[in-house]
Amino acid sequence: MIIIDYKDRRPIYEQIVERFQELILKGILGADTQLPSVRNLAMELSINPNTIQKAYTELERQGYTYSVKGKGSFIAETDILLKKKKDEILEAATLLVKVAKEYGVSKDEFINAISNGFKEEA
Amino acid sequence: MIEAVNISKDFYDIKAVDQVSLTIQEGNVFGLVGTNGAGKSTFLRMLSGIIKPDKGVIKIDGMDIYENVKAKERFFYISDDQFYFNNATPIDMKNFYQVIYEGFDGERFDTLMEQFELTPNRKINTYSKGMKKQLSVICGICSNTKYIFCDETFDGLDPVMRQAVKSIIAKEIADRNITTIIASHNLRELEDICDHIGLLHRGGILFSKDLYDMKLNIHKIQCVFHNEEDAKAMFDNLDILKREQRGSLYTITARGNREEITNYFDKVKPVFFEILPLTLEEIFISETEVVGYDIKKLIS
Repeated sequence: MIIIDYKDRRPIYEQIVERFQELILKGILGADTQLPSVRNLAMELSINPNTIQKAYTELERQGYTYSVKGKGSFIAETDILLKKKKDEILEAATLLVKVAKEYGVSKDEFINAISNGFKEEA
Repeated sequence: MIEAVNISKDFYDIKAVDQVSLTIQEGNVFGLVGTNGAGKSTFLRMLSGIIKPDKGVIKIDGMDIYENVKAKERFFYISDDQFYFNNATPIDMKNFYQVIYEGFDGERFDTLMEQFELTPNRKINTYSKGMKKQLSVICGICSNTKYIFCDETFDGLDPVMRQAVKSIIAKEIADRNITTIIASHNLRELEDICDHIGLLHRGGILFSKDLYDMKLNIHKIQCVFHNEEDAKAMFDNLDILKREQRGSLYTITARGNREEITNYFDKVKPVFFEILPLTLEEIFISETEVVGYDIKKLIS
């Protein structure tokens, strides 16, 4: 479920946080699912449990998870976070339109490319 | 807690360890890295009470270590070249360690031997080098000590075994909150398992820091400026360890966190800039280069 990219230069805990964010926002891990225990994930990935703990603390701080004393960490309702992510994507699209305009991509061409993108998904 | 205050050790006219002060908190996984001959092994041997520091004090949980059985019961030292009794089998070693370490877990020993597919009644001198290493790791884990010191333990193991050993150590950290010191040259691997790093060079300690703080406080920057003045202004502001120039492209290694550096660059508005975190290996190279340990000197 969690894969560490050894070529990635960022600290490992950042990678773990990012990976969980992805899994949660894409709905692969639904609300109230329990996260693997710190101990098990540390053993599975052969990394320091403190690193995993650090990642879990960060996820909780950002509102992706909540913890139950004595039970572990669970995935929180993430509607607000998902909305935020969608807004970010749309914002990025607006920026891309700006660049497209500069290079003379017409509105029709642009919309066409976008429609194709959605078609492929379907 | 492990505390070393100003310890020194000379071998004749060689200063193997020179006034090193180091504190290692409980629960830390401390990576001891250093240039060849920097004194890593000597430090570990003083920590294990095998040799006595010429000067300074080294203590484990407040106790002196040299010739102190009470202190020695608290740790297991997995040395670089393992020592086993002549003609001994792993079972003999298990019996021996059970006498030395009160908490030695015999059952766990048998299970691990089976999992590692080692034959417990075969003579150890018929074992391969890697198998001997595995055996010493198993002994260390099963002794149930609060501290484990590993001297280049991973280096003789194959990739699968390394993962397995790291995984076992991770489990011990999670279950028993053990404190581990790992001396190694494999920086990639230390990055996985350690949370603190101490860098030794020529007997002295260059720094001892939290790994994440360290990674967040040193960056590699690639940038192109509009003109020389901009570049100059920029370089005056930054704490630069290293600077290279190819055409108009500068590659800089500088201290400071990402935000600080980004702020500086935003003010100058360069043509292009990119900030990358450094790997531990790159940190090692830049930090030792600052004190004059430079690959260019070795190859030119």
